[in-house]
Amino acid sequence: MLGKSIFRDDAHGKVTGSALYPGDIEKDHFLHAKLLFTGQPHARMIRMDTAAAEAVPGVVCILKAEDVPVNEHGLVMLDQPVMVGLNSKKPFSDVSRWEGDRAAMIVAETEEAAARARDLIEIEWEQLPVVTSPVEAMRDETIIHGEEPSNVYKHYRIRKGEMAAGWAAADVIVEETYQVPMQEHAYLQPEAGVSYIDEEGRVTVEVAGQWTHEDQTLIAHALDIPKEQVRVIYPAIGGAFGGREDMSVQIVLALASQRLREMGINRPVRIQWTREESVIGHHKRHAVTIHTRWGAAKTGELTAIEVEMILDAGSYNCTSNKVLGNAHLTVAGPYRIPNAHIDSYAVYTNNCPGGAFRGFGAPQGCFVAESQMNKLAIALGIDPVELRLKNVLREGEASITDTPLPAGISIKTVIEQCADKFEEPFSGAQVLPRSFQSLPADPKALRRGRGFACALKNIGFSFGFPERSEAYVELRGRGEIDRVVVRHAGADVGQGAHTAFKQMVAEAVGVPYEKVEGVFSDTAYTGDSGSASASRLTWMTGNAIRGAVEKALTLWKQEERPAVGFFRYQPPPTEMLDDKTGKSNPNITYGYVAEAVDVTVDIETGHITIDRVVCANDVGRAVNPNLIEGQIEGAVVQAFGYAVTENLQSKNGHILNPRFSTYLIPGIRDVPQKVESLIIEEPDPQGPWGVRGMAEMPFIPLAPAITAALYDATGVWFNELPLTPGNVRMRLKNTLVPDLT
Amino acid sequence: MIPGEFDYHSPQTLAEAISLLVEHGDEAKILAGGQSLIPAMRFRLALPGTLIDINRIDGLSYLREENGHLLIGAMTRESALEESDIVQSKYHLLADAAAVIADPLVRNLATVGGNIAHSDPANDHPAVMLAYGATVMAAGPNGTRRIAIDDFFTDLFENSLEENEILTEIRIPTPAAGTGGAYLKLERKVGDYAISAAAVQLTMSGGTCTAARIGLTNVSPVPMRAKNAEQALVGQTLTDDVIEAAGQAAAAECDPSQDLRGSVAYKRDLTRVMVKRTIRKAMERAN
Ligand SMILES: Cc1cc2nc3c(=O)[nH]c(=O)nc-3n(C[C@H](O)[C@H](O)[C@H](O)COP(=O)(O)OP(=O)(O)OC[C@H]3O[C@@H](n4cnc5c(N)ncnc54)[C@H](O)[C@@H]3O)c2cc1C
Repeated sequence: MLGKSIFRDDAHGKVTGSALYPGDIEKDHFLHAKLLFTGQPHARMIRMDTAAAEAVPGVVCILKAEDVPVNEHGLVMLDQPVMVGLNSKKPFSDVSRWEGDRAAMIVAETEEAAARARDLIEIEWEQLPVVTSPVEAMRDETIIHGEEPSNVYKHYRIRKGEMAAGWAAADVIVEETYQVPMQEHAYLQPEAGVSYIDEEGRVTVEVAGQWTHEDQTLIAHALDIPKEQVRVIYPAIGGAFGGREDMSVQIVLALASQRLREMGINRPVRIQWTREESVIGHHKRHAVTIHTRWGAAKTGELTAIEVEMILDAGSYNCTSNKVLGNAHLTVAGPYRIPNAHIDSYAVYTNNCPGGAFRGFGAPQGCFVAESQMNKLAIALGIDPVELRLKNVLREGEASITDTPLPAGISIKTVIEQCADKFEEPFSGAQVLPRSFQSLPADPKALRRGRGFACALKNIGFSFGFPERSEAYVELRGRGEIDRVVVRHAGADVGQGAHTAFKQMVAEAVGVPYEKVEGVFSDTAYTGDSGSASASRLTWMTGNAIRGAVEKALTLWKQEERPAVGFFRYQPPPTEMLDDKTGKSNPNITYGYVAEAVDVTVDIETGHITIDRVVCANDVGRAVNPNLIEGQIEGAVVQAFGYAVTENLQSKNGHILNPRFSTYLIPGIRDVPQKVESLIIEEPDPQGPWGVRGMAEMPFIPLAPAITAALYDATGVWFNELPLTPGNVRMRLKNTLVPDLT
Repeated sequence: MIPGEFDYHSPQTLAEAISLLVEHGDEAKILAGGQSLIPAMRFRLALPGTLIDINRIDGLSYLREENGHLLIGAMTRESALEESDIVQSKYHLLADAAAVIADPLVRNLATVGGNIAHSDPANDHPAVMLAYGATVMAAGPNGTRRIAIDDFFTDLFENSLEENEILTEIRIPTPAAGTGGAYLKLERKVGDYAISAAAVQLTMSGGTCTAARIGLTNVSPVPMRAKNAEQALVGQTLTDDVIEAAGQAAAAECDPSQDLRGSVAYKRDLTRVMVKRTIRKAMERAN
């Protein structure tokens, strides 16, 4: 069953439109809700008047900060109020720190009535200084979280080896500053959900998220009720990419249902965000500024690196401290670095919060590491692939945390295979029509270049987090097993996870795929799976399924009918970085990837096209090769958007382009012409059947591969993203390309 | 986003539509393809009290040559331009533009008349029609009048149509021998509005440029001709230096503003490049 490209269970429903996303769910007697965003990047609420809003015909109730029993949430730190407002028991929750903070939830008979009431709520604000530059925020002239001593709330260090010796051994030093931007997840389905009291009296929320049990925990915390009284169900989910890890409509929906129950109203509530609300109302990939210096010997060996990284966490932590940790480690790349001095800071500002997004800090870290390696290669006159092969970590060697990476390091394989494949000519397959057909560029203005980059990324949660995944497997039948039911909470966010789970169950039990049934993503029936993130889901779930199947088979042999096996998989524990030196075993395991690109740039207009991408991704063992190719191609497209077309702009804490007519995700005629996916299967010793997490990895090296290709094409380095035509052209023009007028 | 409230009429004849316009005055808006008007209503940038939908009126969608002109009915969809043999074989500038307006979904609904009547400098047809020296036909309570395209665009989203007039037709002169045209556009993403685009229509005689009209897209508050650039070409042999001079003239006379598409400096520079490239392509076609 493994290695087969089984057709996805959800494909038919999604193609024909019968799949129900949260916004499509129909129930009788719906009430409709709207959220009032504060629109205030930094202000203190003085007065709020809901009288006119309450008088709107059809309004059922208006929920405010004072109505939230425990007015706080957050995936890692409870630093975010459910609602900003007056008379809340939670200190400082009268302060709006983000334009996307919520001030009220309006429940009404119709969406129109809810919207009208929302627009009639009057709030008086005392304006506070809006801090949007992390460097300015670091001066602590304005403290954004009143309870914190400083806006700089996380600082990680690496102190490894002897810096003086490292610099002395360097024949070449490359020193640079990099700046990478925010990115919007741009999933197709804007936030939506439905809530009601189920037949067992549980506050029930049907919503698109990434981790049912975490949603359940945070809802129960805010409502101050036991977890068992909260039920979370995921219907079809229209993409997530990390953007659904934090709470959007989960808590407020539950709160509304709880309030309606108190009012004696037994009706379901629904909410549906617009695209603008979605873009304004959820976190982004972090903007990061990095200053760094790398030294290498003539022979190519790295001798020392020094890094200072400032991560704009925005108004709330979300998962910023963890993202910072990842960026802090991946900024050293997959390389052997004897001497290192790294300081990384997470800083509160009044910008949109940064949080989880495919790659989780590694895109920022690796952009720096790979750009530095490509520059060193030029400075040393060594082929960039050779230079990497000289420096990549091997089994047992001390990584940046002064401990070896977990066994099964395949970075050398992916680099070699990617480089080999890239040298092969095109397979001759049909390529899409070229983008910008209207622009038959002056052939003299076209330059072509090639670039290379690689990356590593941890699988699973790091830094001491108690990772786990629980599965139930039920074997039914008499003499023979004729049906297998797997119960698991893991979120199918559109990646096809549930199909892969069933394949693994079929493999472990030894039955055909058709005999396996799934009950998924409902806290009433499943154990905690952990999050659909960190490239962990197939890996953890596979281990949980293997354990549950083994138990069920034992019971089956003991004639139990049905035979139900439960297993909680817990990987080896990890550690927090040492405060002073960073020394630790921070991660369970890693995935490895390398990418090479051919790029064409029109030096007169600044317009870039990607002609070819080769991606070599070690997946350990391909459970479903089609789904893996889908992840690789999707990640490349998303990374292309990050590197080239998307360009989230914000001013004084307000996002300026919160819709798809102004925030430009690439379309089919913009994306790389050809993506060749090279699926490598070098087993992860800890993975189920050798499986390795893979879905974030192909995102990570694309941006630095593109900037390397641009250098190859033009002789100019680009240290800032995005590479929009305007940015590229003006930098080329100002950097004096000799034949450029 | 929900638009404001409005009344809706869908007349069957032009006369009926005009009397509805007379009746409702500046409260009313014509609804053609709806691809500019409906987004504007969703964002409440437009709040018409009455919509007069002209999609049910017969005889406003056509493409035919008559008396040395191509006549384009106001309700002709962009996709019809792409499918028309006449347009594709003889009106290259128009054909170039039709292929790069928005995406196929929008082009199935969007109309040529609506594109011009909307008078958005970001739209592609204004520059195209300026370069062709087109004529706009407007029908009102007192009959039909012609408006030269040079007199049509008056301000951002403003034109010389009266409140009670409907744009019914656009007339493009059939290119004479030795005339060639082209449209080139740079977008940040396929289907987006132009960062900058140029429409050029040239007549060449024995290596000399005898007539030139150049329209620019999205680099000024009102759709504009690059008249200095035109002058740099007329009477000249189109050498690299002459073409560069025309590009520089266009860069100087355009009036872009800084936005998400780029800085003023970039847009001027890009306009220079676009104008030069378009001149070259038009030249090739003229010969
Ligand atoms: C996603 C998207 C991308 C787009 N990209 C481009 C692009 O790249 N280039 C481009 O040029 N355009 C683009 N457009 C705009 C599109 O071409 C519009 O359709 C066009 O601007 C208006 O044509 P319409 O028929 O849709 O007019 P409508 O939206 O119906 O009307 C527009 C305005 O013109 C008035 N009007 C329409 N017809 C008449 C008439 N016959 N007489 C008097 N007044 C009239 C209306 O009252 C209204 O004020 C895009 C649109 C979308 C939605």
